[in-house]
Parts: sequence; C-alpha cells; structure tokens
Amino acid sequence: MTRAPSQAPGWKSVVFRHETVLLAVLAAEWCYFNAVGARFGTLDNTYDIVRHSVEIGLLALVMTPVILTGGIDLSVGSLLGLCAILFGKLWRDAGMSPAAAAACTVGIGALAGGLNATLITELRLPPLIVTLGTYSLFRGLAEAITHGSDTFTNFPSSFLFLGQERWLGLPAQAPVFIAVAVAVWLLVHRTTFGRSFRTIGFSPEGARYAGIPVERRLALAYVLAGTVSAIAAIIYTARLGQARADAGTGYELFAITAVVLGGTSIFGGVGSVHGTLLGIAAIAVLDNGLVHARQPREAAGVLTGLLLLLALTSSVAPKLWAARRRKRPAPAAPSPLPSPQSKAP
Amino acid sequence: MKKIIPLLLIAGLALAGCGKSPDASAGAAKKLTIALLPKAKGNAYFISCRSGADKAAADLGVDLIFDGPTDTDPAKQNEIVDNWTNLGVDVIAAACENKEALSTALRKAQAKGIKVITYDADAQPDARSFFVNQATPEGIGSTLMDEAARLCDKSGEYAIITATLTAANQNEWKKYIDERNATYPDMKLVAFRPCDDDKDKAQAEATALLSTYPNLKLIMAICSPGVPGAAEAVKQAGKIGKVKVMGLGLPNENKSYVHAGVTDSVILWNTEDLGYLTVQASVALVKGTLKPGDKSFTAGKLGTFEIRGDNILLGKPFIFNKDNIDQFNF
Repeated sequence: MTRAPSQAPGWKSVVFRHETVLLAVLAAEWCYFNAVGARFGTLDNTYDIVRHSVEIGLLALVMTPVILTGGIDLSVGSLLGLCAILFGKLWRDAGMSPAAAAACTVGIGALAGGLNATLITELRLPPLIVTLGTYSLFRGLAEAITHGSDTFTNFPSSFLFLGQERWLGLPAQAPVFIAVAVAVWLLVHRTTFGRSFRTIGFSPEGARYAGIPVERRLALAYVLAGTVSAIAAIIYTARLGQARADAGTGYELFAITAVVLGGTSIFGGVGSVHGTLLGIAAIAVLDNGLVHARQPREAAGVLTGLLLLLALTSSVAPKLWAARRRKRPAPAAPSPLPSPQSKAP
Repeated sequence: MKKIIPLLLIAGLALAGCGKSPDASAGAAKKLTIALLPKAKGNAYFISCRSGADKAAADLGVDLIFDGPTDTDPAKQNEIVDNWTNLGVDVIAAACENKEALSTALRKAQAKGIKVITYDADAQPDARSFFVNQATPEGIGSTLMDEAARLCDKSGEYAIITATLTAANQNEWKKYIDERNATYPDMKLVAFRPCDDDKDKAQAEATALLSTYPNLKLIMAICSPGVPGAAEAVKQAGKIGKVKVMGLGLPNENKSYVHAGVTDSVILWNTEDLGYLTVQASVALVKGTLKPGDKSFTAGKLGTFEIRGDNILLGKPFIFNKDNIDQFNF
C-alpha cells in the first residue's frame, strides 16, 4: 500500500470528513431515539449511557495509539478480567484497603502490558499473535485463581461510589474517563510520541531509519494499554459491585470496533483520538437507544456492524472513485454523475 | 461535494427509521409493561419460560418485553435492567445470573418505583418483592424418591449418581430423599457415587454399579448429565427394563432414551408454568392484589399457589415421561 499524497485529499481532510460523518450519525441517532423513546433524553438515561460505556471507552482510548502503530492488543478484555480478580483478591484476601488494592492492580496492569511489549519488541513477534497468546493467558489465570467459581462481592460503599454514584453532578467514573481521554489525546496529538506512533504505523523500518526509538515507542503504547485496562477493571468492579473471572469478556472487540469506527486505519498510521471518542459514543447511544425504541438486543449487533461497514465505505469510496476516474482516459466519457472539479489536465 | 454522498446516505437511513416510529410508543402507554429478563436469551430453557409468559401476558392484556444477554458478558444483565429502569417499565422480572451484581441494578429500579420480582434464580432479598421459586429442595427430594419407589414397586436396591460429593444443591436434595426413603422400608440405597457433572464419567460409574450390584433395580441420577450417562450404560449392558433409569434432567437430552424405554422418568419443573406464574405475579403486584404477607396467590388458569415467606412456590416438580416429553423443547 502506497499512500501517495498526490491529488487525493490529504489525510487530514479524510479524517475530518470521517469525523463529520460520524458526528452526523450520532446526531441522527440521538434525534431518532429522542423522538421514539419518551425517556431517552433524560439526564438519568444519558448518565447511564456514560456509565455503561466507560470501561469499553477506556480500552478504546488506549487501543487507538496501539492501532496507530499498526499493532493490535487483543488481551485488554482478558486483562480487565484478571485485574478485576486480582483487585478482589488483594482487597478481600490480602486485607488491603480498596485504594491500596487499586494502586497495586494498576501496577499489575502495567506489568502485564510490559509483558506484551517485551514479547513484541524483543522477540519481534507480531502483536496479533502475542496478544492472542496473552488473551488466553490472562483469562486463564483469572479462571485458575478463582477456580472459575469464586466471586468477590460486598465491597464497601465508599468504593462502590466510584461506579454507581454521582460526583459533582456527574457519574463518578466520568472524571476518570475524561482525565484519561485528555491525557491520551495530548499524547497522540500534541507530542512527538504521537507523531512517532503514526510514523511507525506507516513504516516501522522507515521510522527506525529516521532515528525514532521504535521499540521504546511501541512499548509505551502496550504498557499504557495494560495500565488503563487495570483502571477499567477497577471501575467495572465498582459499577457491578462484583468481580468475577469472566469480567470484560469480548471487550477487546468492542474497543477495536470503536477505534475503527472512529476512523483509525487498522493498518496504522492514520487516525485520531477524537474519532475514537465519537466511535464509542455512536455505539453506546445505539446500544441504549434501541431499548427505548423497543427493539431487541440482537438489533444492536446488526446495526453496529452495518454502521461500521457504512463508515468504512464512506471513507474509502471517494478515494476509490477518484482513483478509478484517474485511470480512465480523461477526455473520453463524460461522467454520468456530477463532477464539479474536473481533474483532467 | 463528495462529502454529501455519505451524509445523504446517513440522513436517508435516519429518515427511513423515523417513518415507523410514532405508533410504537403511543399504544403502549396505557398498557402495563412487564420486562422479563432471562439469564441468556438463546437458552432453550428460558425460551420455554417465555412461551408461558407470553400466554399470561395475552390473558392479562399486558405488554411483555423479553430481552436478555446474547453473549457472556456478566455486565449485560445490569445494563439491560438500567435501561428498563430509564424506559419506565412497570415490573422487572429477573432471573439473576450474578446475584450480588444484579441486585445493585434491581435496587435502583425499586428506588424509581418499579416493582421487582425474581424467578428461577433469586436476587438478594431486599432487591425484590417476591421470588417465584420453581422448586424447593424438599419438593425435588420427595418427588424423586416417590417416583423411584413407584418404578420399583416400593421394594428393591437402588443407587444414586450425584454431581460431586460436596455439591451443595445435591446434598440438600439427598437429605430429603433420605427422609422420604424412611417411608419406603423395602427400598434400599446401596451406593451414592459422584460423576463430576460429566456424562462420560456418569456412564463409567453406572457401568461399575451394574457389575457390582447384580440385584440393582434402579439408578437415580440427581445431576443433569448423569441421567443420559446412566441410560447409555444400561443400554450398552443390555439391561434395558431390568435396571430402570430416572433422575433430574432436561427433556431434550433424554428424549431418545425415554422413547427407547431405557429411561422411565425425567424430573424437572414445568418451565412454561414458571413463566406464566411469573407474569401473573408481576401484574398482581402492580395492581395490589399480591402483597407482602400473603399466604397464597391465584394465577389465572393455573390455580392457586402457596407463598412461603416471600417465595411463591411453583409447587411439585413435573415428571416428563414417554407420554408428554415431546411437548417440551429445552
């Protein structure tokens, strides 16, 4: 794949267009569900949409830099499960306070991300294979530790506050999400790290020749993914008031869907954090709104799939169209469709 | 210009959706809405509950929403209940996959004035008004023993295959089986063997039982993989009819053995009745005809049910045999 910046619109405007489409989709969803469901637009429901999407949202946020580098992390959902269990174990069996247990859990998440990073950068194994391995490993550990049946519950209400109550008028987990979102946005869009993620995604070898410490940048992306997975695990536990080995099953795929829907290329190099945020919102609103439209849950899966395909098509169609027209002998056929800017020389 | 095409597509899609919107919510406003939550939406057991629930909803003229998780995410049940709470349904009737976790969401629903009932698997007591209890250990134990005695003409040796020796449910049932056994002095329990909830292991155990106890008249399996496992062993040993098989299980996995005459009775509860009773109780709870402290409850065509504490008892388990097993699909 060569990405010639020739006459095709630059990536900046492609991203811009993609996000505009997504924003329109989101607005259309909101208007439609608001018209159909009497209580869809209430503050309570809006807050529930936020509550239900924070964990997957956090995973999607940190999945963005990973995918920008051309990698993938399939282990985040399993790591969420493992961290939830370890948090429960540290609190109940090791007698730690929830705060101390949370701090340790975040550390463990970072270590787990470090394991992914080491295997990917030191052994030069493809991220897909490495994280497919740790996907099974982390879930397996969570099941082994609990023998598949132990459940951690009865957390103190001061801890459950984080997942279930309001703080400053917002769902208590929202500030955590906002903080992580701002941090990741700054990292990707306002630092040289972000630029190097994209460069690695375009061409790892090129990045290496350009003097970018590719291994260290990659490691940063995977450690960040692990760390934030642990934070998501703690919020998840607080929201449900329960930690079990199957926590977060399938979340990695939801996160990847949100990222790709947000306009990040699965091949790396192109994408944005705000696109991911819109992607999360579009999926979360659809999922919630269908209940208010009294549609069955299966519809959410179908429509999310269609939305993703539609978004992908709408972002590549103009490029393909332009490329096809360029190939065709220029003066021959007058295009049946309106073509405002003729590219013929 | 190129931007417009995808936008038009989206707008078209949104408009297409808008066309059918208004009548969906208008008619529903007056009717009561009962939301029925299964543990898993595709599970045949709950689909069978639903068909009973649909009948009750039709009888009573209420709207029934049946929705549940389609994947294994344990957070999904909570999200569905939260959504229903915001939607403003009248009753939520839930089968809890995760007792503690779902209780949180159910309490929130109660705080918003929604009535909550549980069925099949209970929540914490303060998170619901009533639990529609499909079977008490006492009912299961005594029905199993009565049926075994009937099949053996009240005399002979029998063996039990259980899940594991430490399984809490099974041991509770065993207690009531023993208690009931006292009323059949000629029925003699010769072995109580675990099969680790595994069909192959149950078959191996049953084969061993058949050779160890030549006078064995009946094998009773009290975990669901045990019944087809024991039946397969009896069939392969060529002892069909000489050694009877019965136990606690699901109709579908035992159908072929029941028709072949290997297994005589499969015992469980009537899942359709469970769904029917749940919806009847839900509606009565909103209308005020079912209140805490009531001792009995009349559920339409099914008749009257006993209430013990805050448990509405579905009553005696149901016996599936050659005559009726084909009517059930789960």
